[in-house]
Formats: sequence, C-alpha cells, structure tokens
Amino acid sequence: MILEGLMQVLQPMTIVLVAIGVAVGIIFGSIPGLTATMAIVMFLPVTYSMSASEGISMLMALYIGGISGGLISAILLNIPGTPSSVATCFDGKPLADKGEAGKALGTGVVFSFVGTIIGIALLVILAPVLCDFALKFQAYEYCALALFSLSMVIALTGHDMPKGLISAVLGALLATVGLAPIDSRPRFTFGMYQLNNGFALVVLLIGLFAISEVMAYAESVRQKQDFTIRSNVKIKGVGFTFKEFVGQLRNAVVSALIGVGIGILPGIGGGVSCMISYTVSKNTSKHRELYGTGIMDGVVASETANNGTIGGAMIPLLSLGIPGDAATAMLLGGLQVHNVAPGPLIYEKNGVVVYAIFFAMVLSAIFMMLFMLLGMRFFISVLKVPKNYLLPVVVVLCGIGAIGNANALFDTYCMVGFGLMSYLMIKSKIPTVPMILGFILGPTFEQNLRRVSQLASSDSFIGHPIFCVLIVATVFVVIFSVRANLKDAKRAQELEAAELHREAAGGDE
Amino acid sequence: MKNKQYKLDIIPGIVLALFSIGYLALIPQIQTFTGMGATPLTNHFIPTLWGGFLLVLSLWIIARGFRKRKKFLEEGGKIENTSLKDAIMERREVIVSFIALTLYVVLMGPVGFAPMTILYVFAQILILTPREQWKKNIVPALITAVITGCVLFYIFRYMLNVLLPIGILKVFGL
Amino acid sequence: MKRFFSLVLTCVMLLCLATGCGGGKDDSAQTPPPADNSGSSAPAAGDSSGEAWKPEKTINIYMTHGAGGDTDYMGRQLATALEGVLGVSVVVTNVTGSNGATCMQQYKDGETDGYTLIATNTAALNGNEATSMVDFGYDAFEPVAVYGIQSGENIVVPADAPYDDLQGLLDASKANPGQIRYGISTGGGVYIQACVLTNLGGAQFNIIDAGDGAARLTALLGGEVDATSLPYSTAADYIENGQLKSLCTCLSKAPDLLPDQKSASETIPELQIDTEYVVLAPKGTPANIVSALNAAILEATSTDSWKTMVNEYCLQNPFVLNVEDTVANLKNQRDLFQSFVPFL
Repeated sequence: MILEGLMQVLQPMTIVLVAIGVAVGIIFGSIPGLTATMAIVMFLPVTYSMSASEGISMLMALYIGGISGGLISAILLNIPGTPSSVATCFDGKPLADKGEAGKALGTGVVFSFVGTIIGIALLVILAPVLCDFALKFQAYEYCALALFSLSMVIALTGHDMPKGLISAVLGALLATVGLAPIDSRPRFTFGMYQLNNGFALVVLLIGLFAISEVMAYAESVRQKQDFTIRSNVKIKGVGFTFKEFVGQLRNAVVSALIGVGIGILPGIGGGVSCMISYTVSKNTSKHRELYGTGIMDGVVASETANNGTIGGAMIPLLSLGIPGDAATAMLLGGLQVHNVAPGPLIYEKNGVVVYAIFFAMVLSAIFMMLFMLLGMRFFISVLKVPKNYLLPVVVVLCGIGAIGNANALFDTYCMVGFGLMSYLMIKSKIPTVPMILGFILGPTFEQNLRRVSQLASSDSFIGHPIFCVLIVATVFVVIFSVRANLKDAKRAQELEAAELHREAAGGDE
Repeated sequence: MKNKQYKLDIIPGIVLALFSIGYLALIPQIQTFTGMGATPLTNHFIPTLWGGFLLVLSLWIIARGFRKRKKFLEEGGKIENTSLKDAIMERREVIVSFIALTLYVVLMGPVGFAPMTILYVFAQILILTPREQWKKNIVPALITAVITGCVLFYIFRYMLNVLLPIGILKVFGL
Repeated sequence: MKRFFSLVLTCVMLLCLATGCGGGKDDSAQTPPPADNSGSSAPAAGDSSGEAWKPEKTINIYMTHGAGGDTDYMGRQLATALEGVLGVSVVVTNVTGSNGATCMQQYKDGETDGYTLIATNTAALNGNEATSMVDFGYDAFEPVAVYGIQSGENIVVPADAPYDDLQGLLDASKANPGQIRYGISTGGGVYIQACVLTNLGGAQFNIIDAGDGAARLTALLGGEVDATSLPYSTAADYIENGQLKSLCTCLSKAPDLLPDQKSASETIPELQIDTEYVVLAPKGTPANIVSALNAAILEATSTDSWKTMVNEYCLQNPFVLNVEDTVANLKNQRDLFQSFVPFL
C-alpha cells in the first residue's frame, strides 16, 4: 500500500501538478493580500475533475508552497505574505536591511523545509496518539489555551506594556464586530449586512503591514534620494554556513514541535504558531536582547513553526475528519469530492490515498525548497525595483486580495480604514503586532468561555487537568513576562536618560 | 524632541478612552439570545470585558502622559505647539496618499477596476517620487500603471475568477 | 537607464505572475470543458432549451457557501453540466458568510437578465428566515430549480448508549431531565432540530453549544456531549467502525441508497429537515428566462454521469424539479419552518 501510494505520486502527471502547485502557491504566498487559503480556494474546483491522488497532491502543493512563500515578502518588504509569516518580519527584515537578505531568505527556506519534514514525520508516525490528544481539547481546554496564548502578548509587547496591551485589546475588540459566536446575533454592525461576517484577518494584515509600509515610505519621500535599498546582495550557497545550521537545530526542533502542536488543535492556525514560537524562542534564548535586530534565530523560529503547523493540521484532518483551519477545511472538501472520507477508517478504506498524500507532501517540500533556493536571486532583485514603483503595485495586489477574500468590494474599504488606523497607531508608538494575536484569539476565547459557562453547572474544571495546567502556565508566563518587561523598560529608561544627558551636554539648540 | 513623548501618551489615550466609551455605550443595543442553548454569559459579556480593559488601559497611559509632562516641565522643558498647517504640510505625501487610496476604492465600484487602477498607480507613483524627479518619471509611471491595471485585471478577473468590478468597461461588452 | 531597468523588472514580475497563474490554469483546461470547448455543442442546445430565450454570454452563478462544502460542489457540478447544454460559460463565484445570508442579500435584487443566478440550499434559505437572520424568504427570488438533495443529517450517539432509536433517546431524556447533553450549533439547522425535539418531542436535554459539524463530532467523541446531529458524510466512518451509532436521519425519508435508515419523522412527524440544492434568480427575472433555465437544468441532470455523481456524493438518486414543483417544494418547507417559529 505504501509503495502503491508512492507510485501514484511518481506519475509524471502528478509530479507536474505538484510542481505547478508549489510554484503557484509560492506566488500566492509571496504576494501580500493573496494567501495560501485563497490559492486553495481558487484551485479546488480545478481538482474536482482530477483523480483523487492528483487532486489532493496539487492541493497539498499549493498549501505548502503558499505557507512557505509568505516569507519572501516578509523578509524583503516587511509585509508578511500570509498570516503565517507575521513573525518572520521581526528578524527577517532587519537582517535584509543589514545587507544579508540572502542569508535571511536562505534560512527561511531551509528551515521551512525542516519544519515541513518534522511535521510530516510526526503526522506519519504519531498520528493516532496525537489524535487522542486533540480530542481531549474541549471548551475548557480551548478557553485556557486562548488565555495562555493571549498572555504571550505581554511577552511580545516589550518595554511599553500598556501600549502593547492596548493593541491586543483593540484587536480583540475589532473581532467582536459581526455575528456573535454561538448565538449569531449581530454586534456593532450598524445594520450593515456586510459587517455580519466580521473583518477578515487578511484584510487587517494588509492594513497593518502593507498600507502602513506605503505611508512610511511616503513620509520619507523628501528625505532620501536613494530609491534602492541594497543592490549588491551576494548569496553564497544557501546563504549560511553548516555550522550556523547546526547551531539552530535545537531552536528549530522546539519551534517545529510548537508548530505541530498548534496545528493539531483545530481553530488556532499558523498565524498564532509563528508568533508563539518566536516569543518562546526569544524568551528561552541566551541572547534575547538581539531578537528583533536581525538574527537567524528569529527567522528560524517563525518559519519552522508555521511549516510544522501544516503537518500538525493534517493529523486531525486525516485521522478524525476534523479540519483545523480554512485551508484544511478546503482540503477536506477536496478529499470528500473524490469519495475519500477522512476519519478513523481512512487507512483501511483509502490507505493508498493517504500514503499518496504523505509522499505528495514530501515531494512538495522538496520542490518548495528547490524553487525557492533557485529563485532567491530573482526574489532579491525585487529589492532593486524602486520602492516608489513597487509599493503602488503591491497596494493594488492587496486590493485584489481584499476583494478576492469574499468577492466583495466592501473589504477594500476596511483595508483603507485599517491602513489609517495602523498609521495612527504607529505614530502613537502603539505596536501593531499584538493586535493580530488579539484579533485571532479573542473570538476563540469568547466562544469557549461562553461554552464553559454553559458546562460549568454540570462539569467542573477539576475534571480537566489540561485546563488546570494551562491556567497555571498562564500565570507563570504573565509573571515572567511582566518582570522581563519591567527590566526592559528600566533599560530603555536608562538609555533615554543617557541620551538626554548627552543632548543636554551637547548644548541647547 | 523630548517634549513629544508625553503627547504620544495623552492624545492616543484620550482618543482611545473616548472610543472605548462609545463602544461600551453601544453594548446595551446588542440583542441577546434567550432561546434554547443560551449561554449564561451572554454576548454582552466579552465586549464589556474588552471595552472595560481598553478604557482602563487608555486612562493608564493618559495618567502616564501627564506624569511625563509634569516631569518634563519640571526639568525646564518648554511646550511648543506646532501649528496644524505645519503638521499637515510635513505629512502631505501621507495625506495625499490616503486621499488617493480612498478615492481608488470608493470609485472602483462605479468606474471599474482597470481604469481606477491605472489612475491610482500613476498618481501613487508620482506621490512617492520627489517633485523634482517627476519629469523623467511620468512616462515610466504611466507605462507601469497601464500594465498593472490591464494585466492584473485580466489575470484575476478572467483567469482566476475574482469579482473585480468591470465598471465603465461594460460598454465594451466585457 | 536605471529607471528603464526597474520598469523592465516590474513588467517581468507581472509577467511571471501571469505565466505562473496561467500555467496552473492550463492543466485545468484539459479536464472539464470551459467556454471554448462547449461552443461546439451550442447548436444542439438551441432546440432543447426553448425558443423563447437562449443565453448569449457568460452566466454567473453566485454561490452562497464556501469552496469545499457540499453546496459548492453540487453547484459547480451543475455549472459544468449546464455549460454543455447551454453552450456558454457558466462561472461559479463564492460569496460566503452568515450561512448564505450575505450572498442572498447582495444578489436578491441583482440583474434580471438571466445571467445572474444564485445557488444555495433550501435549509439555509428557509432556515435563515425562520431564525430571523434575514427578513426575506424564497419569495424574494424567482426560484429556478431544485436540483438535488443532501444525504442529510443523522442524530448520532456513542455506540454504547442504551437507546437504539429516537424514541428511546427522548424517553431517556424524560426519565433524567437535563442529564443528557445534546450538542447543537445555535441558530442553524441543528438548532431548529433541537427546538423541535424539545417542543414537539418533549425531550428534556441539557442543550450545549458545540459548534459546526466537525466540532460537534469532536465533542461527541471526546464525551463533552451525549448526543448530537451530524451530517451523514461526517459520521459514516464512525458508525461503520462501531464508535457511534445513528438513531435516525432527519430527512423526511431515508436516502435512496441507504433505505434501511429510520426517519425522525416516524417519531415526530414535524421533524423533517430536507436540505435540497436550489438555483434562484433575482426577483423580477422574466418567466420565459426562468423556464428556459429550468429546462436546461433538467436536461443537464438527465445524464448517466450526473446520476453516478449524485449517487456517490449524496447517496441519493437525482432529484430535479420543474419550476412549479420547485416553488411548491420551497413553499412546503417554508410553511413547515415557519410553524417552528414560535419556539425558536
């Protein structure tokens, strides 16, 4: 059966489809506003008429290509191509600014591959065990998990804690617009049916990152005459040495495990996994102050985790028939159309297809690494395009992404609104990143908290050990992060004072 | 430059405080659900929680801002007021960019994606180009705009089936 | 010079995009026949779809539910079949959200020239009206055709549960009021069903919100709820491997290919949740256009390949109605759903 699955993938037609899927996925992933999910939505109908293994191989290729492609624009433009690469910007962009775009891209690509492979390995070996774990996650556990992940915001905020929290709360607040979870009653929609669906994550991301990048450039128009950033970027091999690779392995494995873990739990997704893994990596590192200044570790943490999430998300999808996010929900549809019903019997009934999926994933990962490493020189040449030409085109693509998200023009209005909001936030020195976590996790928290309120009468939290562990962990994270933040704030203050001193010494202007 | 620090706390703090008050004031209008399976915590709970949090946090930074202001004044700083006109002129590219972007999305429905994209990209490129270089940039900008508008419209509307508005191109039977 | 170079690069970027996406599309062309292929079969379509009206350009079908779901799949299958009959392209676009309400709201007053159609399912159409998510019903549209029926939702319990049919579950809940936890997704079809069970069947469940189909499955397997309703396709594997058992289907009659299933309406006559796939036209679309489209749908679904597809995917035989029957069918379901309104 394993061989048969391998044979199905090694058909010339399937290989071609996987290659096309990966390429299209990378393009969709790398263009801000177009996401991996959108690529799957657009190509799902095309796969209806293919054979089961051809169709699902292509969808897997789109998925893996799409999630990986996001790192390109995150590193080169500081605009995450997909929600999953938000955290890649943190260190990827500074690294590129230092003239090491090649290293940043190479690191991202190779560790995306590593993350994917670790995810697949766990999917193949441990799926049944991990499924039991996924089933343990019910309302109580999700509620605690959302709280735990939200507490990571405090660690993300850095020295200005109140503003970081404001950002996260604003995100959660934005997510309350639309039909309420559970009872579907409209909230803050002002009678506009377009608002019933709430705001889309991708539209928020466009506003927060792409539009604000344009505006940041607009501010500097009269100041700098140098349009190109670094035109002489040299790449040697994959951009980093073997020693550096080995040095990152521990970080990569931890990040991949975080990614897989979050992937297994339905409804959280890659956007959260990259940020959590970045935060964990930062806070367990010996040189946490270097994070954000452009070091490999940050890119490794983010990119390994978001690709690990792919394998993780496939576990409940295949073994339980439970999709974890929008992309896997589409894969489920793609499988059902071919009469492959994911669930406990999938190995018995459609074992060949399952193994075909595994091999297609491995093949996609290989193609992904190949294409992206080969394309690196070309990607970097994007930096040579003057930004005053590049950014307007990026905005147009973002507009298309916003429209394509639900085939509605209304989302472009939201895009401009979020852009304005983000500009004002940046001007007020309010960080924008915690907002994303608040936006994603707010609804999860609300939904499960309200379910817990329903369950509490018949089922107390004492019967939920995972819940208790997570709550305790949350308390620890909060204490630890607050302490670290206070230290950071003190350091920032000292720096400020020193600066002030220098200014005063330098004479009054 | 230090005098701006406290403003960055006070002004956003006031805006956010007003926003959260407005938000909290809207909550009672939300229809609650009382049918079967209604949860003991209604759909008012979480908005109240977030709204309350935001109010507290914004009051916090307002207070912090005033503390900074006091310290600043004690250290002998002078409060300078930049005039509104100067502030606008200093950021004119940003403001014009936002106006261009707003016009772009608002007119996209009636006028259509392709024509508006051409206009927008052309305008935005020039906005992002220093005034003295406009002359030699007009032609490349125009070419980029036309290519972007037409190629993207064709690809996404006809090959990928995204509902980009056709607008005035309807007369050509597209 | 530099400027020119950068311009070329921009163009190259755009072209790469064009070819990249184009490449993906090329291999789709070899499978279902899009516009250019079906052009050749246009003359044949002329005599069957009526003299009165014949489409001359692309027909747009707006799909109320997302890609990957059954409503979307059926709509796309129909679109492909229709292309062969009508000789024009039929393009399906998903406009999703709020259980289909977003799309219906947006296109109910759309263009009435026959080139704008809406594809949805009847449970969403009538259910959204009953739960007052929207304030319009099927009569805000010109119904074109009901063209299929879903394999339905089943009331399922863990295999070791002490009851074997719906009556047993109801009796058990009456014996232990509030002890049996029944998972629903508030506001949707499952909610309507739970309300019927409670108000007309006298059940005394502890109603718990457990989310969409997949989430309810998780809750049932994880023991957070004791009973729930799941789409047959979601539950099938678990029923087969003996983890779950189905008490009854909520369809008015068991699916054609699973005739042995009990129907909930044997216990509670009103409990009939039939999810049928339906095509609607915006209000005011002329009758001759509607009937021409209906005729085309009837023809497109009369093939063997359609039957095979429906058998495999829905476990049903083809179920396609003419315009009058479609309207009558929608009216029946609406009346039934409206009779639930007092206790929703």
